[in-house]
Amino acid sequence: MKAIAAVALNTFREAIRDRVLYLILAVALVVVGGSRFVAMLTVGSEIKIVKDLGLAAISLFGLLIAVFVGVSLVSKEIERRTVYTLLAQPVARWQFVAGKYAGLLLVLASNVLVVGSAVLAAVAVMGEPPWVLVPAIALILVELAVVAAFAVLFSSFTNPILAAVGTVAVYVTGHLSWSFDLLKKRVAAGLARSLCDGLHAVLPNLDRLDLKAEAVHGAAIPAGTFAAAAAYGAFYALAVVVLACVVFERREFA
Amino acid sequence: MSAVIDIRDLRKSFRGHLGIGSHVAVDGLTLAVEPGEIFGLLGPNGAGKTTTLKMLLALVRPDAGTVRLFGRPPKDVAARARLGFLPENPYFYDYLTAVEFLDLYGRLHGLDAATRKRRIEAAIERVGLKGREGTPLRKFSKGMVQRVGLAQAIQHDPELVILDEPMSGLDPVGRREVRDLILALKAQGKTIFFSSHILQDAEMICDRVAILFKGKLRAQGRLDDLMSPDAKWVEVTVRGPVPAGITGERRLNPDGTTLLTLPGFDALAPVVSAVTAAGGTIAGVWPRRESLEDLFLREIGRAQVEEHVS
Amino acid sequence: MSRRAAAAALFAFAALAAGWARARLDTLEAPRAGTKELLYLPNGKYLRAASLGQAPIVADVVYFWAIQYYSDYGREDRYKYIEHVFGTVIPELDAHFIDPYWLGALILTTEAGDVEGGLRLLDLGAERNPHEWILPFLAGWECDHAKEYDRAAAYFDRAARIPDAPAALVRLVAGMRARGGNLREAIAKWEEVLTDPRGDDVSHAIARRQVRTLRVRADLKDLDAAVLAFRERRGAPPRRLEDLVRAGLLGRVPLDPDGKPYGYDPATGTVSSEASRVLGS
Repeated sequence: MKAIAAVALNTFREAIRDRVLYLILAVALVVVGGSRFVAMLTVGSEIKIVKDLGLAAISLFGLLIAVFVGVSLVSKEIERRTVYTLLAQPVARWQFVAGKYAGLLLVLASNVLVVGSAVLAAVAVMGEPPWVLVPAIALILVELAVVAAFAVLFSSFTNPILAAVGTVAVYVTGHLSWSFDLLKKRVAAGLARSLCDGLHAVLPNLDRLDLKAEAVHGAAIPAGTFAAAAAYGAFYALAVVVLACVVFERREFA
Repeated sequence: MSAVIDIRDLRKSFRGHLGIGSHVAVDGLTLAVEPGEIFGLLGPNGAGKTTTLKMLLALVRPDAGTVRLFGRPPKDVAARARLGFLPENPYFYDYLTAVEFLDLYGRLHGLDAATRKRRIEAAIERVGLKGREGTPLRKFSKGMVQRVGLAQAIQHDPELVILDEPMSGLDPVGRREVRDLILALKAQGKTIFFSSHILQDAEMICDRVAILFKGKLRAQGRLDDLMSPDAKWVEVTVRGPVPAGITGERRLNPDGTTLLTLPGFDALAPVVSAVTAAGGTIAGVWPRRESLEDLFLREIGRAQVEEHVS
Repeated sequence: MSRRAAAAALFAFAALAAGWARARLDTLEAPRAGTKELLYLPNGKYLRAASLGQAPIVADVVYFWAIQYYSDYGREDRYKYIEHVFGTVIPELDAHFIDPYWLGALILTTEAGDVEGGLRLLDLGAERNPHEWILPFLAGWECDHAKEYDRAAAYFDRAARIPDAPAALVRLVAGMRARGGNLREAIAKWEEVLTDPRGDDVSHAIARRQVRTLRVRADLKDLDAAVLAFRERRGAPPRRLEDLVRAGLLGRVPLDPDGKPYGYDPATGTVSSEASRVLGS
C-alpha cells in the first residue's frame, strides 16, 4: 500500500510541475468566466449557457488531461528508462500501475474540483442555487476515471500516439451506445447481432454517466440512479485497471 | 554460504524486426557470485551483459535456465529488497530534486521517515553531492546523475549492488571515485556485481570475472587463475646500436630508440651485456604480464576462429 | 501463480459488479426511455453523434446560430426549415431546452401566419416537458388569436392542470369557453373559480361578475331563440313570456340573477335585462 501511495504522490507531483496542466486549467477557467458574457447572446434564459459551458469545460478539459497525461504515464517511463530502477525496487509491477492510476485520479479530481468550484460560483453569482449541479459534476469525474483507466491500459503496452487514439476511440464509442440500439433493430438475428450485443455489453456506456442535461434543467436526480451510475463507472474502471496491471505484469523491457 | 547470484544455463533470444529471424542474446550462461566479492561481467558491446542483468532483475524473462538472487527468483519482491541497481546511462525524473528523488526510492523500500532522512544524508555525502540536494535533477550534469544514481542504489544499505557499466562516460577522476566506492562497499561486506567493457577498471578491483562474447561464456574465474602471474615477457628499450643475434621481436620507436621484446627474465641479463658491449645504452626495462585485455582479445580471437570453423 | 488467480478474481468481480450496476441503471432508465425514443429521428441523430457527449452545449450553439440566421429578414425560404431546426435538431440534442420551442412557434405564427406549424412545435415541447405550463399556455394564446376558442380552452385547461401552474389559468379556460359561445360550460368553469379556496378576492370578484353576466347572456339567448321560434310558428311575437312555456318552446321562464323577471316588449319581441348594468341593481 505504501508503495502505491508513493508512486501515486510522485505521479501527482510530476503533473503538478508540468506547465501544460496549468495552461489547460487556465483555459478552462477563462471559458467558465467568459460564459457570463456569452450568455448575453441568447434569447431566453441566460443562465443555461453558463451552466452548459461550465459543465462542458469540466468535462472536455478533464478529458484532455485524462488522455494526454494518461497515455504518457507508463510509456514515458519506459521511453526514458526510468522504469528500470523503479522496477528493480521491491515493488510489484501491479503496484506500479495502480500507483500511476491513483496519481492520475488525484490530478483529475483536483482539476474537477477547481473548475467545478468556478462553475458553481458563476452560477451562484447569477442568482441560482448551484448545488443541483453537483451530482452531474461528480459523475463527470467518474466518467473521467473510466477514460483514464483506458489510457493507462493502452499506455502499458503501446506507444503514446496509439494509446491516445485508442482512448479517444473508446470515449467516442462510449457515447454512441444508443446507436447500438438502432443497429440491433436493423441487423438480422444471428452472428452479426450477437456480435453487436456483445460489443454493446462490453464497451463502456458513457451516456449513462452523462446527467448534464438533467442537471442544467434542474431535474432532481434520484439517489438510486446516481448510485447505480457511479457504481457502474467505478467498477468498470476497476476492471480496466486490473487488466492494465495484468498486461504490465507480462511485459518485457528488452 | 550459498551464492548471492546463481545463474544456471540461462538462455534468451529475441525475435528480429517483424518476426523475421532471431538473435540469441544469452546462450547457456552459468555463473555464481559469492557473498562479499566483486564480480565483473565483461565483454564487448552486444555480448549479452545488459540482457543478463535485466534477467537478474525480472525486467526480461529467460527462455530457459534459472536465475536466483539470494536463492529466490527475481520476481520475488523479498529478493529485490536486498539489492541496489544502477542501469547504464540512467535517467531519472527531472522534475524532482535529488532529495525528493531519493526520498521516493526510500519510500518504495519501505523505510520510515526518520531512517530515510538519515540514509539520504549519508548517501549524498558518500557520493559527493553534498550541497546539491535541493537542485532539480533537470540541472544535473551526466556525472552528477551517475552519482545520484549510485546514491539511490546504496542508500537502503543493500547486501548486493548491481551496476551496469558504472564507469561509462565518466572522466578519469569520476572513474577513480566509482572504483573507490565499489571497494568501500566491499569493505562493508557487500557483494558487487557489475558489467563493463572497460577492462582496466575491472582488472583493478575485481575478485572474479566472467568474459561474455556473443552470448556465450568464454572464461570465468579469479583474475590470478585466469592470467599467469609470471612475467610473460620483458620489454627493453635500447638507445643506440643494437647487437645482432638477439631472440625476440624488435621494433623501431619514433624517437629513434629500439624496442626489444624478450621472452622472459632469463633472457634479460645476456641482452643487457650484449647491448652494453655493442655501445648502446638501456633506456628502460618493463616486465609485462598478460593483462586482462590480452586475455580478452585472446578469447575473442579464439571464439571467432571457432565460429569460422563451424 | 496465486497473484494471477487474484487478478482474475478481482477482474471478474469488478466486471460482474459493473454489469449488475448497468442492469440496474437500465431498469431505472425506463421512464426516460420513452423520451429518448422520440429523439431517434433522422438527421438530428448525426449531430448528436458528432457532439460526442457534449449535447447540451451543442444545442446551445445551434440555438445561437438559429437566432442569428433568423435575424436576417432578407432570406428566401425563411420559414422552410423552422420546424426542422427548432422541432427536430435542437430537441434531438436537448429535449428539455424550452426556448427553441416557443421561439420557433412564435416566428411561425406571427410572421408566417402558420398557426398549425406553431402549434405542432408547442405540442412537441409540451409532450417532452409535461411539467412546463408555459408551452400549452402559449398554444392556447395562439388559438385565441386565431379565434379557435374551443382549442384555446382545451390548451389552457391542459396548462392549468400542471402542478405549479398559475391559478389564473383556470379563468382563461372559462373565458375561452365563453368566447366560443359555450356559455353553459363557461358558467360552470367560472363557478369552479368562485368556489376555489386557493383563489384570492380579485379572482372571486371576477368570477362572480362573470357568472352573473354569462347567466344573463345565456338566459337572454334562450329567450331570444324561443321568441323567434314562436314568431315563425304563430306569425307574431308572444304577448307574454309565459306564452312561450305554454307553447312548449321553453321549460320555464327564467329570472335574472337578482331574482327579477326579464324585461320583455311584446311589440318588438325583444328581451332585455337590467342585470347587465354595471351600476344598476
